Amino acid sequence: MNGIHDMGGMHGFGRVEREENEPIFHARWEGRVLGISRACSAQGIFNIDESRHAIERMAPVDYLSASYYERWLDRNVRLLVEKGVITREELERRMAQLADGKDPATPHSDPKLLDRMLRVTRERTPYRQPGPAPRFALGDRVLTRHDAPIGHTRLPRYARGKPGVIVRVHGTFIFPDTHAHGQGEQSHALYSVRFDAALLWGESAEPRAPVHIDLWERYLLPNAPARSTR
Amino acid sequence: MDAVPNREIADMKGAAALPRKNGELVFDEAWQGRIFGMTVAMSHDACFAWRDFQSHLIDEIGHAERGGESTSYYERWLHAFEQLLADKGLLDAGALDERTREFESGRRDDVF
Amino acid sequence: MSGTHEHGHHHREPESVLSLRVRALESLLVEKKLVSSEAVDRVVAAYEQDIGPHNGAKVVARAWIDPAYRARLLADGTAAIEELGFGGVDLQVVENTPGVHNLVVCTLCSCYPHALIGLPPVWYKSFEYRSRAVREPRVVLREFGVDLPETTEIRIWDSSAELRYLVLPERPAGTERLAEAELAKLVTRDAMIGVAVVKPPAAAAR
Repeated sequence: MNGIHDMGGMHGFGRVEREENEPIFHARWEGRVLGISRACSAQGIFNIDESRHAIERMAPVDYLSASYYERWLDRNVRLLVEKGVITREELERRMAQLADGKDPATPHSDPKLLDRMLRVTRERTPYRQPGPAPRFALGDRVLTRHDAPIGHTRLPRYARGKPGVIVRVHGTFIFPDTHAHGQGEQSHALYSVRFDAALLWGESAEPRAPVHIDLWERYLLPNAPARSTR
Repeated sequence: MDAVPNREIADMKGAAALPRKNGELVFDEAWQGRIFGMTVAMSHDACFAWRDFQSHLIDEIGHAERGGESTSYYERWLHAFEQLLADKGLLDAGALDERTREFESGRRDDVF
Repeated sequence: MSGTHEHGHHHREPESVLSLRVRALESLLVEKKLVSSEAVDRVVAAYEQDIGPHNGAKVVARAWIDPAYRARLLADGTAAIEELGFGGVDLQVVENTPGVHNLVVCTLCSCYPHALIGLPPVWYKSFEYRSRAVREPRVVLREFGVDLPETTEIRIWDSSAELRYLVLPERPAGTERLAEAELAKLVTRDAMIGVAVVKPPAAAAR
């Protein structure tokens, strides 16, 4: 989607600010949000592509004014509501109860869930899946599609309709554009594609600053005359 | 003992925040890591609640700053830890002075 | 704290007062069974490893020392880090050379090689970094204190898929005699993202 999240190349954001001795979390609730996110994904309540798209669907003004973990919180609530796990009314009611000092929930332990959550952090994510043979090879010239899809995609706007070169064939991976929309784990070939800065940004591009993006085959068209068999 | 770091310890804020560089804990000298480890190990073993140590640390930092002392973070940590041990009756200050003299004179030479 | 010092007859490096005190403390606490030295070791290791990018630093140091490992790392990052006991990431390692400097970003969100360098700092996830790193990398690097000649190619890697990128920084000059563990201590998280270079030991110590 043409969302506000797609900000590669945008102007106007200013200097990168860094915090000395930055803590891992700036407030306790941030860590809780991270833990909740991991618990949800470990149980398959939502997948990573859905979770990214949920953040992308925030209204631009909200996205820009939220902190990183505020966006995660928005995402968790949005998806848990959409998936029918909670309702917004329930959430409001529980907030009111807690503000009154009442907490109806009883703590319990769930070692199986904990084990699954910990495994997620140790094992490779299972996004590499068998799929159709790659169409493109190292060195091939490609052209990215000039689509403006309504849903989730991982082709940044700045790289639409641009010529590039395949610098690596990564294998086949789950395709986010379908996975984010409940269409299952369809895998396609993934490539590292190199783009010349001048072709991306025009005359004001820095010299010798090529951008490499990992792009699925579905984003790419051939950009060279037909070759004879290799 | 649980090897997973306790966030209550790792994420202390303000003047009590663990010194970091680039996101990494910084121990300028080995003894700083040792004193950190000792304090945390004892807290993990429930010799005292972390909150108790933390309030001693905050007090010590405040005291040092008001006195204009140029002591380092972990020096203040060490003072706070000694004070906590004394308050809890876990260690006698005299015994510590004596043991320190033994190391200084070479009568003891254990390295940790 | 005791103010008296008795200087021993041993000719060794004068140990700081603080270091002595802490050794004495550990000695007493161990004696009283309030602590075990092994527990102290484990705590320090766990906190250093969990909070810091020490996993990535170990990988970099191994690559600096062992050319065959370096080649395996660049060819198949995922398998090579598993050799060192690190998993949990589909990894591409990109090497800095005198003519090439690599920089990693995720313009669309904040993808980052957590398994090797921990949680990303706020600046990596910021709009400023996400928007500008692809567009004006040389200016951004200068803001981070890295001034590269115009002849250096800056390769930007926008982490748009589930692969993660780690920069293999150049080994600083004058480190030929350092052991692998000492080399690892020089490697910073920022160097593995590409917004810093690894400084030689004399410069790194302050």
